[in-house]
Amino acid sequence: MSGDEVDLVVVGAGPVGLYAAYYAGFRGLRTAVVDSLPEPGGQIAALYPEKLIHDVAGLPGVRGRELVRSLLEQARTYSPQWLLGDAADEITRLDDGRIHLRLRSGASLVTRSIVLAAGIGTFKPRPLPVGAEFLGRGVDYFVTDPSSFAGHDVLVVGGGDSAVDWALTLQPIARSVTLIHRRDRFTAHEASVAELHGSDALVRTPFVVHALSGDESVRRAILRDTASGELHEIDCSRVVAALGFTADLGPLTRWGLQIVDRHIVVDSTMATGVPGVYAAGDVTEYPGKVRLISVGFGEAALAVNNAYVAGDPSASLFPGHSTATV
Amino acid sequence: MPFFVTGACLDVLDKSCIEECPVDCIYEGGRKMYINPRECIDCGACEAVCPVTAIASDLPLSEPDRPWRDDNVAFFESVLPGRDQPLGSPGGASNLGRIDADAPLAAASPSAG
Repeated sequence: MSGDEVDLVVVGAGPVGLYAAYYAGFRGLRTAVVDSLPEPGGQIAALYPEKLIHDVAGLPGVRGRELVRSLLEQARTYSPQWLLGDAADEITRLDDGRIHLRLRSGASLVTRSIVLAAGIGTFKPRPLPVGAEFLGRGVDYFVTDPSSFAGHDVLVVGGGDSAVDWALTLQPIARSVTLIHRRDRFTAHEASVAELHGSDALVRTPFVVHALSGDESVRRAILRDTASGELHEIDCSRVVAALGFTADLGPLTRWGLQIVDRHIVVDSTMATGVPGVYAAGDVTEYPGKVRLISVGFGEAALAVNNAYVAGDPSASLFPGHSTATV
Repeated sequence: MPFFVTGACLDVLDKSCIEECPVDCIYEGGRKMYINPRECIDCGACEAVCPVTAIASDLPLSEPDRPWRDDNVAFFESVLPGRDQPLGSPGGASNLGRIDADAPLAAASPSAG
């Protein structure tokens, strides 16, 4: 079995995964980071980018997206390999004790150890109730390349931060942007919603997508005003469905891990029952566990350092102080 | 579990909350919704969308809400009428569908209509 060879794979690019990637780099490990979402930040980025987080040591209050930006900068210090938009799928033990990790895309990695910073699991976008047949043919769940929307009539569906932020990003680029939301009230940050209302984007609530039509790609959308029942047909060549996410542990449930209430049981070294596989952050379970970001950061350092000595028993568990090396 | 459903949901069951929950932890009882305390990840997505402001947090817990917090927990931890064991942590509300029973306080509450 082949695949890129690394020392450690971090599964999950949420705050704890990003910190684990930094720590692994600090210890000189060749590291890869895998996440099912195309953007780093995990739960923070997907669910509450605008929330103020008050319990990160040394930061009296930091907005979610700012924290992610800083963690990303820190993780990039040691240039890990980024595999975003892909997901850890299956592990096989090689004869030399290393692990062959197959990803959802079919790509694979060979690694000495894995740190599962999997949070609440693999995020999956909530599908559009209609028009799913146009997925990849005009309908997307993420905006990864805003410039590809140039010249398009874009329909954005949703009322959260992702929907509103994407509508604002695309508005100057696209030919037109229409944002619909099934409720009058938005869950996105108030300032962003105000900015959207002040922009040239057309905002319609309480509207849902009634139908999409087209040929090889989406061309038209029929929208339904859920208050009056009226139907409105609009030109649209791109649709961004930002209806939020669902999450579950997915493939990890088949790895032979001990899982209790969607959490992975670890010991005091953050080791799971599967040799070479560690866990950190919200996904872990042990007596006395407290599910907080500050605890997760500590667990990331524990997991990486213990994985490091497991791979090289002559090494010291204590990494040295970061002040001594940078 | 900072989030739970209060009596404001009784006989309303709007269910907007279900569409927001990323971990499918909001269960439908006979007369109201219930958030599973062991499955909730405290993201707060449901709180923002409830049209009758029925979702409350126990950080901090307001005293008038305490009985509803306890009743919400009881839905999962005690044995509901017609069942022989607690629901516990089924790992997803959509697998179970509507549960035709309520925790004691909700069951004994007068109908709003």
